[in-house]
Amino acid sequence: MSTNIQIEELKTDVLILGSGGAGLFGALHAKAANPELEVTVAVKGLLGKCGCTRMVQGGYNVAIAPGDSTERHFMDTVEGGKWINRQDLAWTLVEQAQVRIRELENELGCYFDRNPDGTVHQKAFAGQTFDRTVHKGDLTGIEIINRLAEQVWARDIKRMEDHRAVALIPSKDGSRIAGVLMIDMRSGAFRLVRASAVLLATGGGPTMYKYHTPSGDKTCDGMAMSLRLGLTLRDMEMVQFHPTGLIAGEDTRITGTIIEEGLRGAGGHLLDGNLERFMHKYDERGERATRDIVSRGMFQEMRNGVTAKHGGLYITMKHLDPSMVKKSFKGMVERCADCGFDLVGGNVEVVPTAHYMMGGVVFEPDCTTEIPGLYAAGEDTGGVHGANRLGGNGVANSTVFGGIAGDTIAKDIKPNATLVDPDREAIDAAVRLCTQPLERPAAKIDQVRTKLWEHMWEDAGIVRDAASLARAKGTLDELDAELDTIGVSGDNLAYNLTWHDWLNLKNLILVSKSVVAAATAREDSRGAHFRADYPDVRDLENSTYTVVRLKDDEITLGTEPVDFSRVKPGETLLDESAA
Amino acid sequence: MSNTIQVSVWRGAEEGEFQTFEVPRQPSQTVLDVITYIQRNIDPTLSYRFACRVGVCGSCAMTVNGRPRWTCRTHVDKVAGDGTLEVAPLRNLQVVKDLACEMTEFFDKMNRAEGKFHPTKTRDDDFDFIKPDDKKRKQASAGIECIGCGVCYAACDIVDWNKDYLGPAALNRAWTLVNDERDGGNDVRLAAVAGDAGCHACHSQQGCVEHCPKHLSPTHSIAGLKRETAKAALKGLLGGDD
Repeated sequence: MSTNIQIEELKTDVLILGSGGAGLFGALHAKAANPELEVTVAVKGLLGKCGCTRMVQGGYNVAIAPGDSTERHFMDTVEGGKWINRQDLAWTLVEQAQVRIRELENELGCYFDRNPDGTVHQKAFAGQTFDRTVHKGDLTGIEIINRLAEQVWARDIKRMEDHRAVALIPSKDGSRIAGVLMIDMRSGAFRLVRASAVLLATGGGPTMYKYHTPSGDKTCDGMAMSLRLGLTLRDMEMVQFHPTGLIAGEDTRITGTIIEEGLRGAGGHLLDGNLERFMHKYDERGERATRDIVSRGMFQEMRNGVTAKHGGLYITMKHLDPSMVKKSFKGMVERCADCGFDLVGGNVEVVPTAHYMMGGVVFEPDCTTEIPGLYAAGEDTGGVHGANRLGGNGVANSTVFGGIAGDTIAKDIKPNATLVDPDREAIDAAVRLCTQPLERPAAKIDQVRTKLWEHMWEDAGIVRDAASLARAKGTLDELDAELDTIGVSGDNLAYNLTWHDWLNLKNLILVSKSVVAAATAREDSRGAHFRADYPDVRDLENSTYTVVRLKDDEITLGTEPVDFSRVKPGETLLDESAA
Repeated sequence: MSNTIQVSVWRGAEEGEFQTFEVPRQPSQTVLDVITYIQRNIDPTLSYRFACRVGVCGSCAMTVNGRPRWTCRTHVDKVAGDGTLEVAPLRNLQVVKDLACEMTEFFDKMNRAEGKFHPTKTRDDDFDFIKPDDKKRKQASAGIECIGCGVCYAACDIVDWNKDYLGPAALNRAWTLVNDERDGGNDVRLAAVAGDAGCHACHSQQGCVEHCPKHLSPTHSIAGLKRETAKAALKGLLGGDD
């Protein structure tokens, strides 16, 4: 196939990549601020359906109750992030969450759970000093995304569904963004969407690990495109593992998906393959210890080999009141039952599972990036959460910054502005990258995925050391080379999932390389990053964060000092009496 | 349990044919797993859509042995007693390729039914006090957990006969809003659902109720809309005859 293939060109004022909390809020805010702007949302699946905001179970952290405060939420976020958060971003998060939650409830029509007296219910969530998590049962994300999507459908906002972004295209002179090269997955055709502003809101999604929670469409596409454009990413070693994902055996899509944290909070027990509890060996809080500690305890037990049928461990609720379990965890109980597991009266096999990437594109509190015209929000970005994200700060992050991005874009650009010329060489290079497997004889691709999963899980996952990371680096280079020898049938490019699997793996391998590089550089343990060879937090006062870039096809690495712009380690913004 | 399962899968678009595959049985296996196995191991050209894998997004609904179902949460044991499966795209929606449908008309009908919140307050206001056991709130909450999977839409014979019919999901959403004390859009909403393609077109055949994977009752919601639109018509609130 020649690279001189026809590429259809479309124009829009604002192109939004992704339709989770960040993308949809970006679209609504840009349109509200300036209805004359033509706003287009492009998404890899169906609008409001793919991506992870929809999958949020826990809820939305926000300091709106009497006795809580912006400062308290901020301190919890920074303490949870082990002091490497960018503090102006964390502050923006906790302050603007208070606006966004009321926008969700009052303007978009979300109805969050209430107390019997009609006030909004806020539940306890791990790692927080105040019960501040607003929620809708254990399926909060469905409510948020359904309400956002129906507002987007009702507006003059263009939709490009089943369109995957493959490259961020700079202007010919390199001074700003010119648009995005996309593949219309339904036809397989390339489309260049030229735009004055592009919002990167594809979500991260650490699906390079054997066990992972995110939606199956997520493959770090935004981060991979950002690396190829030359952007700086930070904190890439920080991959959060959730302690309890389902495990149902080989070739089961449901494996890795979460059953929620609240089960442990409500008194659930974790058991090994002999049905013995083990968490007390690792932390006096037992199963109620934080996500990172429980995940590491479970990983160690699995390495010790006393495991259940599929190599995982068990969670059980059967010693608790069955009616409480059925009522409080309705969604989880039904989900388990459909898959043949009894969460109320049985033992459900679980495994720690890769959940969220704290790292991502370096961006500013107004969602601008180092490239004019390119904005970023949500899990594609880094710096808000530092080394660890609090449960309930994820959907707050995507919705807060998505809305801000829309506001900023509407301020920065004018409708129908003259669009800059795109860099045609960058387009050609991206087309070549995407079409190269189509020029080779078709071969099986699945072994690359399974090897990537196994090696990232074993060598660059919950517990890492210098030797395992060196192994991972070598493996990733080998897998990348292997992928480059594998062909995909290009006879029919319409809805060709196997072609997209190839592209997904290409992105996952690249982003995995940046995870491994950053994890190698951080010689201490904090938050989600645990080095068996450096098991302690080191030198908190002089904390640094990692940055990676892609240069000549190699990941280059640096470290930068954290700017404690609001509060230093050991200090607090709370009055001592209130702390 | 046989070690394999015979799976007939629709190939093509509106025109096409079934193709048969033999897939190994696993103890814990959903219909989506079977389809995935075929694409990964037997025929890499098979097309289907899925996202969340766990019954949250409503992207993966298909027709399984003649019934619309969410495939990610449908265990093979439940539907393939005789060791065979037939998997086709959803009825009543245009087929993109193989098992993937175009869902735009389904989403557009949500909008045509005014299935969106009309705010009466802003982000500068506090939350309303609404008790969870408030009668109207309970009516709204009863239908609110719809994930928009399109299973009810595919199950509905009225949609099959009348392509304009708004369908169970859109009308169910409208009913949740009619009961939402915070909403200010009921005049336009009742007018939107009162026409020939709206709630009165429903014959209460309950295909939607029977198939909804979330165990919602759109038929109940539509009955509520019928009552409210009739009341509004008596009061002369619906404007013209649409």
